[in-house]
Amino acid sequence: MRMKKLIVAGVAAVSALSLAACSQGSGATTVKPKNQESASVQAASGDAPAPFDQPGVRVAIVQNSGQGDYFQQYLNGTKQQAAALGIDLSVYDAQGDNATQATQLDQAISSGVQGIIVRHGFPDTLCPGVNKAIDQGIKVVIYDVEIQKCAPDAVQTQQSDNKMASLVLDKMAEDIGTGKPVGYVNVAGIAPLDRRDVVWQEYLGENDWTQKFKTGKFTNSTATDTAPMVDSVLKSNPDVVAVYAPYDELTKATLSALKQNPSLQGKVKVYGADISTADIELMTNPDSPWVATGATDPNAIGAAVVRTLALHMAGELDGLNVEFPPILVTQDFLRSEGIKNMDDLRAAEPALNIADVSSADWIPNVTF
Amino acid sequence: MPQIESSLLPAEAVDSGRVVRPEDDTLSTGTRVRDAVVKYGFIAVTVALFSYFTLSEPSFRTSGALFSMLKFASVTAILGLGMTFVMAVGGMDLSIGSTAGLSVQMAAMTMVFYNLNGGAAVAVVLLSGVAVGLLNAVLIVLCKIPDLLATLGMMFVIQGSKLIPVDGQSVASGMVLPDGTPAPGKFTESFLRIDGGTLGPVPYPVVIMLVLTTVSWFILARTKWGRIFYAIGANPEASRLAGVRVGLYRGLAYVLCSVFASIGGLILVSRIGQGDVNAGTSSLLEAVAVALVGTSVLGMGKPNAWGTLLGALLIGIVLTGLTMKGFQYYYQDTAKGLVLIVALLFSFTISRRKVRYTPAT
Repeated sequence: MRMKKLIVAGVAAVSALSLAACSQGSGATTVKPKNQESASVQAASGDAPAPFDQPGVRVAIVQNSGQGDYFQQYLNGTKQQAAALGIDLSVYDAQGDNATQATQLDQAISSGVQGIIVRHGFPDTLCPGVNKAIDQGIKVVIYDVEIQKCAPDAVQTQQSDNKMASLVLDKMAEDIGTGKPVGYVNVAGIAPLDRRDVVWQEYLGENDWTQKFKTGKFTNSTATDTAPMVDSVLKSNPDVVAVYAPYDELTKATLSALKQNPSLQGKVKVYGADISTADIELMTNPDSPWVATGATDPNAIGAAVVRTLALHMAGELDGLNVEFPPILVTQDFLRSEGIKNMDDLRAAEPALNIADVSSADWIPNVTF
Repeated sequence: MPQIESSLLPAEAVDSGRVVRPEDDTLSTGTRVRDAVVKYGFIAVTVALFSYFTLSEPSFRTSGALFSMLKFASVTAILGLGMTFVMAVGGMDLSIGSTAGLSVQMAAMTMVFYNLNGGAAVAVVLLSGVAVGLLNAVLIVLCKIPDLLATLGMMFVIQGSKLIPVDGQSVASGMVLPDGTPAPGKFTESFLRIDGGTLGPVPYPVVIMLVLTTVSWFILARTKWGRIFYAIGANPEASRLAGVRVGLYRGLAYVLCSVFASIGGLILVSRIGQGDVNAGTSSLLEAVAVALVGTSVLGMGKPNAWGTLLGALLIGIVLTGLTMKGFQYYYQDTAKGLVLIVALLFSFTISRRKVRYTPAT
C-alpha cells in the first residue's frame, strides 16, 4: 500500500516537472487571439443622423458560416465597426446549414432589430425572409448573394471580382505582352469565379493570347485535387509563358504542379487571386513563380458592410449596390518591403482598409 | 425494518415493478424527493430556462420569436420521433439525417428537373422514405447485419448516390442541366408553403410536428404495436418465445423512422427552396440527442413521443436563447451536449428505474 502511494506521488511529481519543462516561456505571457485584429477608430466629425443620434441601435448579422480564419476576421471587422457606431449587434451563425439560416433570419426579424446584414447563403432560401424584413421596414444589406433576382429592394454588396481579375490581368499583360500561349486554371459554377472568368475571356481576346489549356476541380481539398490535373496539362503544353489561376487554392495547385516540372522553372509566371499569410509566404519563397495577386482584407470588408447598412438606415445610401475593391499585390512589392504576413501587409498598404467605401463624416471609421 | 433501499435490490427486482411503485408510506423522504426529481426535474429545467430567457431577453417574448423557435425545433422533433420508434425496439438508425437529405434532393429533382407539381414531389419523397426504411429493414432483419453497421452503410450510400444524377451540384430553379439546357421547372408556390404557410398564427411545420407527436404517442402508448415495440426493446428473445414476430415489428420500426425522416426532409427543402446537397447531415446527432433526452421526461425511462417533443423544444429554447444573448456557435454546441448529459444523468444515475434503452446490441 505504502509503496503504491509512493509510486503515485513520484509519478505525479515527475509529470508536474515535465509539464513545466514543456511550457513555453513564463506563465504571464498572454496570447493574443490570431483573428482579433485590433482596430483603431477615427473620430467622426459630423453629427450622426437618426437613428444613430443615440446609441443602442439594434442590428443583427445572419451569417451562413462563421467557421474558419476568413469568416472570423470578417466578423471581427463587423463587430469593431458596429461598436464604433454604438450599435448593439446580435450574431446569428447557421454553421453552414441553410435551413437554420432561414430560421435564424426569421428570428432576427422577430427580435425587433432595425437593420440586418445577411452574409452568404442561397438566394432562394433567403429571399422570403429578406422580403418580409423589408416589408416590415427593416433595412437589409446582403453580402455575396445574388439576392436582387428575387428581392429587388435589398442592398446587395460584394467584393469586386471584376477588379480582382482586371488588376492582376493588367499586370500580366504588362509582363508578358500580347500574342503569347497561356494556361488557365478555373472551375465553372461558383459565382465569384464565374465573374472572374468573364474578365479573363475579355483579356484573352484583347491581348490575343492563346489559351492552351483550361483545367481545375472544386472539391473539399481543391489544391490537392487540382495539382495533378495541372501537372499533366503542363507536361503536354510546356510552351505556356503564364498561367492565370483566379482563386488561391487553384493558385497553390498550380505552384505545386510547377514544382513537379523543374524544366519549366523560371519560364512560367503564375497570376493568382486572394491573399493570406500562407499565400504571402508562397509568393515570397525564392524562385516562386507566383508574381501577382489581388487582395482584400476580410476585416475591412466586414466593417464596410456595417457602414453600408448604417448609411442605408440613415437614408444616405445612393443606389442598392456596393462593391468593395481589392488591391494589386506583387511579388516585387512583398519582397522589397520585407512583408511576411497579413499584419505587415496591412501596415504597408493602408488602401486595404477601403476606408473611402461607404463612408460619411458622421461615421467613425475603423481601420486595421 | 419496513423500508427497503431499492438501489440495493438487484435490477430485475426494480424493473419488475414490485419496488418501482410501492405504497407511498413505505418510502423514505429522500427516495420520494429523488422520485420527484426524476419525474419532474427535466420539465422544471425546461420551464426554468424558458422563464429565464423570457424575462431577460425582451425579443424572446414576442410571439414571432416563439413561433420561429418552434419552427426551428420542428424538424429535429420529427426526426427524433422517428428515432424514438427505432430506439423503442432497442435499435439505432444512423441513416436518418441522410434520409432527410435524400428527401431534399428528391423533392428538388421532381419539381426542377421533371417539372412536376408539389403534390408529386411530396409523394416521391414519402415513397423514397418507405424505400430507405425497407432497405434498412432487409439489411437488419433478413441479412442480420447489426443495426449500427447496416445504417452506417446506408448513410454513406444515400449521401453519395443522391448526388450522382446531379454531378454533386445543388438543384436550383434555372440551373443548367448536364446536357447544357436550362432546367424546366421550379419550386411551386404551394410546395414552399409547407414551411412558409400558417394555420391561423401557427406555422405549418409546428402543426405537422404536433400531429406527428400525437400519432407517435398513440402508436407507442395506446396500440398493440407500441407494446410489442417496447417488449422487443426490453427482451427480443422473450418476445419471440411469447409468439411475437420480432423481425416484422423491428422492420416496421425502421420503415416508420425513415418515413418520419422524409417528412422532416420535406420541411427542410421547403424552407431552403432548393436542393441543398448538405441539408440534413447535421440532423442525425440532434435526432438521437432529443430522443435520448426524451427518455428522462416524467421518469419514463424509455423512449417516448412527448418526451422527444419536449427534448426538441428544450434544445430549441437553449439554442434560440443563447443566440439572442449573443453567444457564438461553439457555446451552443457545448450547451447542446450539456443538456444531453444532464438528461442522461436524470435517466441513468438519479432514477431508480433502469432505462430500457441499451443501444448497439
